[in-house]
Amino acid sequence: MIGALFALPFVALVVQAFADIWRAPALLPQEFGLRAWDAVVRSSGAIEALINSVVVAVVVTGMALALAWPAARVLGERRLRHPGPVFVLLAMPILVPPFAIGTGLTQWFIRLGLTDTLIGLVLAHLTVVLPYAVLVLLSGFGPAVRELEDMARASGLSPRQRLMWVTLPGLRPALAVSAFLCFLVSWSQYGLSLAVGAGRATLPIVLLPFVRSDPQIAALLSLLFIAPALAALFVTVRVGRSPL
Amino acid sequence: MTTLLVLFGGALVGAGLTSLRPLDGATSTAAWRQLLSDPAFHDTIAFTFRITLATTGISALAAVALSLLLRNSGAVPRALVSLPVPVPHLLVATVAVLWLGPGGLADRILGGLPVDLVRDEAGIGIVAVYVYKEAPFLLLLLLAAMGDDLHKREAAAAVLGASPLQSLRWVTWPAVRGPLIVGSIIVAAYVLGSFEVPLTVGPNYPTTLSEYAFEAVQGDLITGESRAAAALLLAAAAAVALAITAVHFARDVEGG
Repeated sequence: MIGALFALPFVALVVQAFADIWRAPALLPQEFGLRAWDAVVRSSGAIEALINSVVVAVVVTGMALALAWPAARVLGERRLRHPGPVFVLLAMPILVPPFAIGTGLTQWFIRLGLTDTLIGLVLAHLTVVLPYAVLVLLSGFGPAVRELEDMARASGLSPRQRLMWVTLPGLRPALAVSAFLCFLVSWSQYGLSLAVGAGRATLPIVLLPFVRSDPQIAALLSLLFIAPALAALFVTVRVGRSPL
Repeated sequence: MTTLLVLFGGALVGAGLTSLRPLDGATSTAAWRQLLSDPAFHDTIAFTFRITLATTGISALAAVALSLLLRNSGAVPRALVSLPVPVPHLLVATVAVLWLGPGGLADRILGGLPVDLVRDEAGIGIVAVYVYKEAPFLLLLLLAAMGDDLHKREAAAAVLGASPLQSLRWVTWPAVRGPLIVGSIIVAAYVLGSFEVPLTVGPNYPTTLSEYAFEAVQGDLITGESRAAAALLLAAAAAVALAITAVHFARDVEGG
């Protein structure tokens, strides 16, 4: 019952997306059709925004995982004597409003010619995504993985073999959750993207005005907006099962 | 960590510079003075804090109640309740307009809603959207803390003669307090700074802090950016102060 309460509202979104005519007080649409679909496909802005969102979220996720790895390893293996300041630095971008971060970065991006570019969007998103990557990934590093790596080293495995056969499989659940969170945080960014890259729109920026002006197109864009997030969740659950 | 330090530090310095140097070039504190003397900004602060406190409080209470209800349930109810967690805030706001707006589905099913929930001046719609999104997030943190280990400790307390209320106070609450406080800080900080939800379901006036900043930029191209940066820096300071207060409060409660 409670579960249905949380899931049901989204079903209406699917109906709204294909309801060409749905006048109050009718509970069901008077006419189904593909008006919104045609409008979205014909508008280059929406498709371009979708592509921008995918590219930025994927690149940010990859970069965040690569950059977070060494920090997460040091923190996860408790090699720092005073980790407090590092955790404070990690907490700050989560606490500070993304629009504030974007407004501050714009000051520099204008001078560097990075406003309204994909590189600018990637760098801005990295600022808020990196802390999540480190905080989730560090839970994967610890004595269990360390001991397995030591055994692999004693068995004569090269560093590359240890990474591929021991470390990566051992970290798989933490890596999957971390990647999912990075993708989701970047994918949902609104304020940050608006501040540094309104001229290079992402999907949320294109979607919001339609909520007031054309609910059917808003519903269809919402479906496009939620689909990759759910796909990422599905992949995370499949890939994230621990092999150890 | 260097990357983060450069990007985040640069952002803060950049926001500070923007607040002190409008586009006309001269360095001054005019934007800060303008901001602090603007009656609309005072309304914005009051509105933002009201929304933040209401959202955080209601979400935390709902999450605690739901966690006690669902802690022994199977995977399916848990998964369904967790559904809003990966859904972006903007999407939940869009669904809220579809259901709760004038002439929306709830209006049609019930033949009229007793209160306006979309673009209402009290911001009830904003709080409703945030609670729908944040309560499941806090619930997940609480359920994670209510694992087998806690069950064993509660069983031990019962064997030693503790009443259900005593067990809740001395065994369950200490186990869930930490995740609840950390989660609530994240929720409060998010609500304080985000603006896609208020922009979608909130009133035109009063606005939240981020909306105020956005409107300042849109309304005045010369000094608006500086006023926006000043307002956002205040929001950032408020979020950090809130987090520090909550952590200190938690330590006091623990007797540390």
